[in-house]
Amino acid sequence: MRFVRLSLRQAQYNLVAYTRSARTVIFGVLMPVGFLALFNSVFGGKFKTIPVGGHDISTIAFYTGGLTTYGVMLGTFTGILVAIVGAREAGWLKRFRGTPMPSGVFLAGEILYLFVTSLGLIIVMLAVSHFGYRLSLPAHAYLAIFCYTVLGVFAFSAMGLALTRLITTSEMAGSVGPFTVVILSFVSGVFLAPNLLPQWLLTFSSYLPLEPIVSGMQHAIALPGGSGLQLRPFIVLGIWGAVSFVIAQSNFTWEPQRH
Amino acid sequence: MSNVIEVAGLTKRFGSLTAVNDVSFSVERGEIFGLLGKNGAGKTTTVEILEGYQSPDEGQVSVLGVDPKKGGGTWKDRIGLVLQDSDFDPSHTVTETVKLFAGFFSHPKSVAETLDLVGLTDKADVRIGRLSGGQRRRVDVALGIVGSPELLFLDEPTTGFDPSARREFWTMLEGLRSAGTSILLTTHYMEEAQHLCDRIAILAAGRIVAEGTSTSLIALAGTTTVRFNVVDGLDVASLSNGVGIDFHVAGDVVSAALANAQSELLRLLQYVERVGLELDGLEVVRPTLDDVFLDVTGENS
Repeated sequence: MRFVRLSLRQAQYNLVAYTRSARTVIFGVLMPVGFLALFNSVFGGKFKTIPVGGHDISTIAFYTGGLTTYGVMLGTFTGILVAIVGAREAGWLKRFRGTPMPSGVFLAGEILYLFVTSLGLIIVMLAVSHFGYRLSLPAHAYLAIFCYTVLGVFAFSAMGLALTRLITTSEMAGSVGPFTVVILSFVSGVFLAPNLLPQWLLTFSSYLPLEPIVSGMQHAIALPGGSGLQLRPFIVLGIWGAVSFVIAQSNFTWEPQRH
Repeated sequence: MSNVIEVAGLTKRFGSLTAVNDVSFSVERGEIFGLLGKNGAGKTTTVEILEGYQSPDEGQVSVLGVDPKKGGGTWKDRIGLVLQDSDFDPSHTVTETVKLFAGFFSHPKSVAETLDLVGLTDKADVRIGRLSGGQRRRVDVALGIVGSPELLFLDEPTTGFDPSARREFWTMLEGLRSAGTSILLTTHYMEEAQHLCDRIAILAAGRIVAEGTSTSLIALAGTTTVRFNVVDGLDVASLSNGVGIDFHVAGDVVSAALANAQSELLRLLQYVERVGLELDGLEVVRPTLDDVFLDVTGENS
């Protein structure tokens, strides 16, 4: 009970920092929304559909699903990496370590806050596509998007967390995080239609942690019928997330790293 | 047990460097104990072992009856830490930050009382990013005391304070002491140790080289000194002969250590009257903790 209460407080504390930082608002919201408007406007009229995993998906649904997932990954993976490395570098983590706060609270507060900002971003993105580009969602899509968001936030933040041992300065974190997400996005059907990529790259990226959930999101948004949920994203991202979490847990450090 | 901290034979090595070398001391409940030493003397390493951040290589350490490495939430609930360099989130206000920390403890002080104690009441709603260095240090202290700790660790708390802020800070610590808080303080300001600490241990190169009250440490350094400027017509040899003590000249200053200040000074004054010398810049200096420090750390040779 105390754990939940403290985690909620911690999440709220993080949210306050989020709303007060121009950087998080610009990179976390304005950039994905800007990309969405740009890609929808440029390609939305040019191509009616884009083939993804054997289905023809409307271009608007393709970009909405892809860029939303891109935004979630950018926010959570980069967000947790920069937050933890920065807090560790500044001695903020060490300070928490000296209080009776249970050690999981810091992490829970971070993940909870990332989940809330991710949901917020998704709502904004869907609204932009709906009102700006006449995207209409099938009824099942809401639950599917919610489940994918839970999965994405878990896997991406676990990955960011695992990287905190390798990346020791916030300067490094601030460049490695976004760089990884952008490169991964290019091969995962976020910016480019998958049929533009060579087959070997498609096969390769289907084992990476972004393509399966991007494709899942796009299908959930575009295709009526069924639950809108696929098993593949849960298997691939589940494994990435679980392995990352074990790595993060086994060598997490609270103290500033000396160079 | 009346001791809040017990340290026996504490040793900590980093590679070939022995940062803390066979250190033993104890801190009694309700006192302010000072660890005094230069940068690199082993103060922070010692304190971080007591706080549970580092493990000793040898020796026994007990803080509030608990081995710090095994100290869990209930132990941390009873201590307060003011670390040497630890930053905050700049986008939150002072009140928001202190409130967050208050929530971790079972018997926190109110935020208003805490801010009043550290003198930040008028900065309560200012974001930490807009505070000066000295004000941030007060936030550090606020986070250390907000949990109403029985034992407070302060690692060089007044670095960056101006003299009046330092005075206020001392008054605050004396207030905490009279309310029953035990305090372990590290500092490299002699004046601070002399003013605040009930007992002091001086660390040099990882060892305790002197320990006691500031009065007893000063007595250790011994002698009062008389000194004055070199004047025309002064012959140091005949002065030494005439007064019966050894005078030394260093640059423009003549000085002598006094074993029995009253009678030796009287003889000096009578001598200069008799030979018609006018002493310029006459001073009688009692040793300070500074001298003790330089003596025991071997830098006064």
